[in-house]
Formats: sequence, C-alpha cells, structure tokens
Amino acid sequence: MSDELDALRRLRPDRVLPDDPIDPEVLTRGKERLMAGIAAPTPEHRATPSIYPRLAYRDEAAALEFLVRAFAFSERREARMEHPDGTLAWLEVGDGVVMIGRSGVERHGLLSPTELGGTTAMVNVYVQDVDAHYQRAKAEGAEIVLDLEDMFWGDRRYEALDPEGHRWHFAERLSDLQVRST
Amino acid sequence: MEEPDSAVIATSLEWPDAFGALFDRHGGVLLRFLMRRVAPADAEGLLGEVFRIAFERRGDFELERASARPWLYGIATNVVAKHHRSEARRLRATARLAARPEPVSDPADPAVSALDAQATWRRVAEAVTALPEAERAVLLLYSWEELSYDEIAETLEVPVGTVRSRLHRARTRLRSLTERAEDFGVVGRTQEPEAKP
Repeated sequence: MSDELDALRRLRPDRVLPDDPIDPEVLTRGKERLMAGIAAPTPEHRATPSIYPRLAYRDEAAALEFLVRAFAFSERREARMEHPDGTLAWLEVGDGVVMIGRSGVERHGLLSPTELGGTTAMVNVYVQDVDAHYQRAKAEGAEIVLDLEDMFWGDRRYEALDPEGHRWHFAERLSDLQVRST
Repeated sequence: MEEPDSAVIATSLEWPDAFGALFDRHGGVLLRFLMRRVAPADAEGLLGEVFRIAFERRGDFELERASARPWLYGIATNVVAKHHRSEARRLRATARLAARPEPVSDPADPAVSALDAQATWRRVAEAVTALPEAERAVLLLYSWEELSYDEIAETLEVPVGTVRSRLHRARTRLRSLTERAEDFGVVGRTQEPEAKP
C-alpha cells in the first residue's frame, strides 16, 4: 500500500505548480551575503552560562524588538524558534544570556508582570559604558525607575522597566570606568 | 576532476573564502528544499541562515565524508524545524493549489468533485503538519527530496534503522489520519508521479 506516499509525492509544491521556477537572483544574493559574512569577523560561539533566566512576555515579539533596540542586546538569531504558540529567543550581552518567551500558565507557569501586577525578580546586567547605555535606553522609551548613580560598593548603576514591567539593573564597575577614561 | 566538498571545507578552515564554492555546488538544491518546506517568502532568508551556520560550524564537518550535501540538508532541516508556522502555511497553500479544478477532469465521474478533492488534500496537508518533527523530517526527505535511507541517516545523524522505523511510523500515522476519508480514492486518481531519476 503506497497510497499515502503517492499522495504525498503529488503534494510536493513544485509538482503541484511545476511552472514556478527558482529566481536565480535569490541565489546570487545568497552567495553575495555569504561572502560578505565570511569577510566580516564571524560571531563567536559561546556556551550558554550555567545560570540564565527565562522571562515571559504577553507579546514576546514586541519585547524582543524593544530589548534589542533599547538595551542593545544582541540576539542569537540562529537559535530563535518560532512556533504557533510563541517564539523563543536568546539574547546576549557580554557572556550573559537571557531567554525570552511567551507568558502563560501552561508555559512553565510564567506570567508577565503586566498579568501579575508586579514582578518577583530583577535581572542584573553588567554593560560597557553604562552612561551611553542609560542614554540609549531612555531615548528608546525604557522607563527609568532608579537614576544613574555611583554606588558605595563600587558600581555605577541604573534600573529600568521594559514595556511589560520586567525590571532590569544595568551597571558598570567604577574601576572599569576609570580604566576606560584614561 | 572537481575536488570533493571535504577538500573545499578543509581549505576553508585556513582560507575562509574557499567556502563560497560550497554555495555554488549546493545553494540551488538547498533553496529548492527550503521553498518546498516553508512559505516562499521565507526561503531566501533561511537559505542565508543555513549557509551562515554551515560556515560557522565548518570545523565540525567530518572530513572523511566526500559530499557536504547531507550535512547541509541536516542544517536546513534544523532551521526548518524552527519555522513550523511557515511550514504549516506552505502545506495548506499547496493543498489548496492541488485541489484546484483540473481542466481535463472527467465530468462523467461525480465522485471527482472539486469539493472532495479539496477536503482530501487538506487532510493530507494537515496530517503531515501534525506529524512529530522527527518523523516529518524523514518522510519529506524521502518522498520529496528522494534521498536514500543511507543519505537520510547521514543527514539526520541517526542510524539507518532509526530512519526506517521513523518512516514506517510516519506512513502509518499518515495513513490512519487520511484513511478516514471515504474519498481518499480521489488522490489516487490524479496522474502518476514522475519516475525517480
């Protein structure tokens, strides 16, 4: 019995629509992009750190866009998983990774602060040039909840909320700051 | 004679530009694979992703393998697995096209109504979409890409026995999901598929 295989073979899109040829320009562009990527330094593949948080958002696509734009995270683009019940993405800064997914009781019981009416955690991030980071986050619409300040333990830090209310603590060690300014 | 892919990859470890030859050799096949599996608008982006990942991981390629095609198919299969929504969309759209009325349909046969065909193709598409990822991958590498068991095993880095059992399970599932349609015969009545090359 090969009915189901025959049916499937006939459902191959280029058999269903045989006069739908490949656009050769797609290949030309693809080759160009590959060669441009090869000429540029390739991103380093790092291991995921032993501890990394997963944050839940009602609109994880919007969150992803915001976090990259406002907080200058970079996405491990090849790791992104798009499924009908939500996208999972990994954002990096320095040697840290944070995972972003959709909220829901059925999704590990994780809720967005907007659903919870508060949050139960804060993600602490060391960045390079916290002053520039602060200006960028502010300009891109992050809600600053603690202003930029030198702290007695040796960090310069500020805290901000993202659009769904997750709390982020961004800091730079004052010693690094001094090294950078000399 | 053209040097094998393994030699190209070995060279590219020291001279990265050499990797471009791999795109020349396999880019078209991979693009066609992606265009079958995901919405056409997504295929170009995914092709770029496949070759970028391949380039970054070229150090992992086992150089005793002459052809890089199964390895590239494997990377592409993983990339497609992350775009299930696009894949489901592609299958639904193809099912709709498959059901479009044939200009030479037999008016004497009332069973071959456009509605029956539509329902049947939709059921096949839904059945494929509902398969577990690992089974769908094997099934489509076999029936659409026409890879051999050995090639599929190399592509997915699993033993040949696993390929056989996954294919068997996928076919059984597909049959039970589509069999319930009394009009399944409609599918068998369209023209024969082309012979394998």
